[in-house]
Amino acid sequence: MTKIISLFILEAVFCFTFFTVSYSDINLIQTTCKKTPFYDLCVLTLKSDPRSSTADVSGLARIVADSVKAKAIATLNQISALLNSVKDPTLEKALEGCIVSYNTIIQADIPVAIDAIEKNNPKFAVQSATDAGNEAQACENSFAEKPSNSPIFSGNKAVHDLSVVLQSIASLLL
Amino acid sequence: MEASYDPEQNPPLHAPLLDRSSPRTGRFAAVFACLFSLISLLALIINQTQQPFEKVQPRGVAEGVSAKSNPSLLNQVPFNWTNAMFSWQRSAYHFQPQKNWMNDPNGPLYHKGWYHLFYQYNPYSAIWGNITWGHAVSRDLIHWLYLPLALVPDHWYDIKGVWTGSATILPDAQIIMLYTGETNESVQVQNLAYPANLSDPLLLHWLKYPGNPVMVPPPGIKPDDFRDPTTTWLGPEGTWRLTMGSKFNTTIGISLVYHTTNFRDYELLDGVLHAVPGTGMWECVDFYPVAINGSVALDTSSFGPGIKHVLKASLDNTKVDHYAIGTYAPKTDKWTPDNPEEDVGIGLKVDYGRYYASKTFFDQHKQRRVLWGWINETDTETADLKKGWASLQTIPRTVLYDNKTGTNLLQWPVEEVESLRLNSTMFKEVLVEPGSVVPLDIGTTTQLDILAEFEIEPLISSTTNEIGNCGDGAVDRSTYGPFGLLVIADASLSELTPIYFRPLNASGGTLKTYFCTDETRSSKASDVFKQVYGGKVPVLDDENYNMRVLVDHSIVESFAQGGRTVISSRIYPTEAIYGAARLFLFNNATGVNVRATLKIWELNSAFIRPFPFERDSV
Repeated sequence: MTKIISLFILEAVFCFTFFTVSYSDINLIQTTCKKTPFYDLCVLTLKSDPRSSTADVSGLARIVADSVKAKAIATLNQISALLNSVKDPTLEKALEGCIVSYNTIIQADIPVAIDAIEKNNPKFAVQSATDAGNEAQACENSFAEKPSNSPIFSGNKAVHDLSVVLQSIASLLL
Repeated sequence: MEASYDPEQNPPLHAPLLDRSSPRTGRFAAVFACLFSLISLLALIINQTQQPFEKVQPRGVAEGVSAKSNPSLLNQVPFNWTNAMFSWQRSAYHFQPQKNWMNDPNGPLYHKGWYHLFYQYNPYSAIWGNITWGHAVSRDLIHWLYLPLALVPDHWYDIKGVWTGSATILPDAQIIMLYTGETNESVQVQNLAYPANLSDPLLLHWLKYPGNPVMVPPPGIKPDDFRDPTTTWLGPEGTWRLTMGSKFNTTIGISLVYHTTNFRDYELLDGVLHAVPGTGMWECVDFYPVAINGSVALDTSSFGPGIKHVLKASLDNTKVDHYAIGTYAPKTDKWTPDNPEEDVGIGLKVDYGRYYASKTFFDQHKQRRVLWGWINETDTETADLKKGWASLQTIPRTVLYDNKTGTNLLQWPVEEVESLRLNSTMFKEVLVEPGSVVPLDIGTTTQLDILAEFEIEPLISSTTNEIGNCGDGAVDRSTYGPFGLLVIADASLSELTPIYFRPLNASGGTLKTYFCTDETRSSKASDVFKQVYGGKVPVLDDENYNMRVLVDHSIVESFAQGGRTVISSRIYPTEAIYGAARLFLFNNATGVNVRATLKIWELNSAFIRPFPFERDSV
């Protein structure tokens, strides 16, 4: 009888720890994303990266930073493609301005954010993430056709919103 | 032969493999098996995990991200900055490196005829990174000469960053530098460095103590909450102490105390110098004595009757420097504020503008306490990369206790800045009626030292309580204000930066006065941060409203009532630059005439440049 009881207890502890451990990573993603203004985007971005299951808050910030960079590169490529075929000089000017903004995001903002997170000096990650969001917003605002969106609206919005998520998560590390 | 048990290779049964790479289906099968056999434990487990499937609405604004601390620009469009506009932004007499990024001032000191300034510096780019200690020297705190880097990340204990630190000059003239290093494992530790050659007035070379680090994060303190050691001070029984900011339970800002006799071995005190709930991580803590009679500055080890102590912290969460005045008990190493309602982090600010990471040192040469502060940019990083630099230091300020109010410190630009004064112009009792602007004809206005005194003459009687502080800027009218100066303004006032007083009716027929800087129309460009800054300033019955303003291109430092309230401001005009910049008086109050008396000097450049090593003397 005692053997069965101890086996039962052992199995119970096994299942208990297995349950809490396998749910704790989801919990961290949810509790972290609740503190950002874009919960769904945050959860989706983190869950689609396998690193998130073993990441602490610092690691989650790193994942978001990588995602901003990936989206920014994709948007930059879109801008370059549009520039190849553009005829309208106003549109051309806006696109060229956006090239500069996106180069800043990719070559300055994100590397500084990643460096700052890695070196446990998160305030510089917050500053850079804020700047990245501002650059994307500036790019979107520089297109003349209002109130309709620019030809790269979805890219700008993705980069902007993800930057805000990064800013929020980095703030948790302060 | 028994197989050796290695917990890493063969985890015991009760600690499951934390192997996240197992396939999802395998995991679900195991989960179902557990559930099936342990139905009775299900309720307990669900109780213990905190509702993992409940979807919570996201908060509106992310916690911990304050608009004041992290400028977020709305509706902005990148401006077409020209090289002329960028060049104009560079300061003429504020310290900044020739190029690239700078942040906190470090280890300021005076040695063998030279003032030394070290600073967080990125040798490679105009954005933060690769942080080293830059170095510059000056005879007079104004005319700086650049020297080679003093400290670089070259040991495991600072390989990820040579961060902020402070200097102590010992009675035998030895110099001790304690600084925070970020180790190869991203742990914040404190390291000891000292001059390689004390007889070198330029202190070019520094050695790091072979036994570094000398302090590591103690139990209960996280490895990324342990930085910025202060100058040490001597206690009554002969041991040296220092204090260092940290945080406890995420939100309680604290300052730890360490004792040492030899600067190599440190003992952490039980308890803290002080703690303030809700203020978060304390960075760049500063702790120093002030004389209550307000006439002299004190060496950092001073103690006794007639002395109070200032505790200052840079709040990581809000990027604001706060201070409080109180009493230090050396026997217990405890400090208590004079006014707990204005405790560190919840009361007075060192500077109400764009200002952070400030640090004082005792200047034994002229027997004064001198304050440095870092002024960051408020434009985009794109602009910083284009113009190739970012950040300034303030003009160094003397710090004294204001014995007239007993509640504030007085900060004032060091007198050596007056050596930059060229010509001066005086204006006596210029009348500025309600709702009017008066031009001041003084030539170029981008490098100025302005002393202004304002008298108000009520035209209507009003005692209704007025609420608010700096309001929405200079356009926000009330009975007694705002009134003051418009700096870096063009002739058509399309760009202007008001610096003003706003006295408000308070209860009991008294006036409560705010001192403010309004950046909202400082530039037509929309991709720069334009905020209204300011705070309350005590104005005593026998005082007029007086301000001093240092204008230096894209930085403006404003001092009210002899330095009781100070505001540092960054502005990036596009039209009010070079010869187009003008100076005006204004009065936007509804119920008072203002009479202004001013003395205005044009200031020369400080010609900050590399140290001329080829020549023998400077």
